[in-house]
Amino acid sequence: MDFEWDAEHIAFRDELRAFIGEWRTPELLAEYAATYGGSGARIRKFHDAIGERGWMTLCWPVESGGQGKSMLYNFIFIEEMEYWGMPYGNLTFTSVAPALNAFGSEAQKKEWLPKIYSGELTFALGYSEPNAGTDLASLRTRADRDGDHWVINGQKIWTSLADVSTHLWLAVRTNPDAAKHAGISIIVVPTDTPGVTIRPLHTMYGGHTNETFYDDVRVPIENCVGGIDQGWAIVMHALNHERVALAATGGLARIYDQLVDHLRTHRPERLANPVVRLRLAELKLELHEHRALALRNAWILAQGGTPIVEASMAKISATELRTQLANAAMDLLGRDGGLSAESAERAPFAGKAEFNFRLSPIFRFGGGTNEIQRDIIAAAGLGLPR
Amino acid sequence: MNLELSETQTLLQRTVRDFLREEVPFERVRSCERENQWDAALWNAIAEQGWLGIAFSENLGGAGGSFVDLGLWVEEFAQRAAIVPVLEVSTCGRILQDFADAEESRRWIEPILAGLALPVPAILESDDDFESIRAEVVDGVLTGAKTYVDYAQFATHHLVAARSPEGIGLWLVDARNAGVQVEPLRSIGRTPVGSVRYAGVPAQAVGDHSAYRALLRMARALAAVQCLGSMQTALNQTTAYAKLRKQFGKPIGSFQAVRHHCANMAIRIESVRGLCYSALSSLDSPQPSDERIDSAKASASLAAPEVTMLAHQIHGGNGVIEENDLYFFTLRAKERSLAWGSSVECLDNIAQGVAAPTDWL
Repeated sequence: MDFEWDAEHIAFRDELRAFIGEWRTPELLAEYAATYGGSGARIRKFHDAIGERGWMTLCWPVESGGQGKSMLYNFIFIEEMEYWGMPYGNLTFTSVAPALNAFGSEAQKKEWLPKIYSGELTFALGYSEPNAGTDLASLRTRADRDGDHWVINGQKIWTSLADVSTHLWLAVRTNPDAAKHAGISIIVVPTDTPGVTIRPLHTMYGGHTNETFYDDVRVPIENCVGGIDQGWAIVMHALNHERVALAATGGLARIYDQLVDHLRTHRPERLANPVVRLRLAELKLELHEHRALALRNAWILAQGGTPIVEASMAKISATELRTQLANAAMDLLGRDGGLSAESAERAPFAGKAEFNFRLSPIFRFGGGTNEIQRDIIAAAGLGLPR
Repeated sequence: MNLELSETQTLLQRTVRDFLREEVPFERVRSCERENQWDAALWNAIAEQGWLGIAFSENLGGAGGSFVDLGLWVEEFAQRAAIVPVLEVSTCGRILQDFADAEESRRWIEPILAGLALPVPAILESDDDFESIRAEVVDGVLTGAKTYVDYAQFATHHLVAARSPEGIGLWLVDARNAGVQVEPLRSIGRTPVGSVRYAGVPAQAVGDHSAYRALLRMARALAAVQCLGSMQTALNQTTAYAKLRKQFGKPIGSFQAVRHHCANMAIRIESVRGLCYSALSSLDSPQPSDERIDSAKASASLAAPEVTMLAHQIHGGNGVIEENDLYFFTLRAKERSLAWGSSVECLDNIAQGVAAPTDWL
């Protein structure tokens, strides 16, 4: 057992830092902030540059056109990108592409994967419905077969990015007679298909998510991914991949560093205060505690395993720490901590603390609520009875 | 980087676990506690297994193991609440090996491996401050007083932190010398501990201030591991109990509030485990990291009472009676959380460095 990073890992990190240093322009960051995780011309160029280096498919097998690197490289990649707040990917890359690669037909992979990597195709995920949240398998949006087409009717909610994406990745009921997990399929729907209606829901963290309505939406039969009624396994696979990104610590470490940096530069007397230093030490300790879990998760992935309990632990700790960290940062900054980015110069590090406070709830219930994660740990990890 | 235990490490873990389960019935632990004794019979058995040399170099007759190996070993003893000075003797032995000259090392390590010599560290004084050492060595003679010396009354030697014209260093004294007086204390951990007076006792120089720092690092990381071991058993016993105990016609482990308590215990333990073994791995590297060691100990010390008190919440009345084994782990974990740097001390150390940049990877 050895926790020291290998020389190649450190070299890769340094390469990433140099690359990021080159690309991290105010214009790129502004475009990222303005599109709330969507995409724009600069972001697409940045993705091209990532793609040229083979980093989009860093850990894919060599025979699938990847670099065949261990998932520890993916961990390092995400950590660095998150730390510097770079738009390295979104759910299209971290969730849809791996699922497509694992479950899609050869024809689907050939048609969609290159377009995903060129930024031509972007996806919004359509899983949740007004009455199917944590109990996702009770979803009711249905797709009925009509010749060589599916006809989709129903409603989705929290369809974030639907308004700026080219496609929807929908979980729909294709077999109302089967058990609830067994009658679900994944169908890809172009967003501009007639019958798709998108309505924004404005959020307290700025930007918006959407609810989407489907009225006799017709798509070709071959848009079903991974086989009819086989969708539940794909949803679970995609959620697992999403959890890896949710457990990333880079962004949290950056908030901490910016907080310390701000205090050092602008409030040295506060940084000298023992109460402040103790609070900072506690936050730093919590970051180390979380990283121990995130690293364990990454390690199991790197061994080709599927972390279940470890992924749940890392997801819980990352998301709860984000709230804690944002909250404590604001406390340590005082009234300045409550100022948002619009306050220009006055807002400490562009209001990131207060923004993350507003943003943080979604991670705790998103991607499988933390309560469900605790149930997973109790059942799969500790063998407690249902 | 390799976060997996090696085959040898897994084997070591399993062998020690099975051995202790067989060799240390909890009734024996209870009787040691009652009589203020240590488990001398177990110590002989360990020596016979050849385990005392786990982290000593092979040319001294040891197994040449790493600090990670030593940690795995120490964790097993904590998981069984065994009353033996594994941390104390191992750390003193390592200091003797790493800092005394080769001839001296050989002279000391051999009886340690045989289970005949029991050196224990004697560091803190009545003000409980690692930076304030007033015991003094003049012309090879030690005078002073130490407090919180674990296993003091059963040790053959004390490795004493003392001041000399060269600064703070470590000195070895024979605990059987007439000038050494031990007065037992009773601590929450129910393991032997005492105050010691040294009235002009011959002392042999072992190492300088760097030896002293090295001892603190090792002991701090291993004390964190002892907290970890106690927490692990507390969780194991709690999940076992939650599966068996029925209320409202169902095992209490099926109630979500109980399940979430257990999940929170498991998360805490997994995180402490990562930090502990990362700290030990750092001790095995050329550049031990004080921040990793302080983080491990701070985290373990904070987690220990959280985890054991959740264990009690789930056990109810059954957990507080001494016929149940849970209390061993609650009390030992709390005592170890205070030893070799409490959460306050370790957080203070982390706080000293908060303004310096952190390399997160």
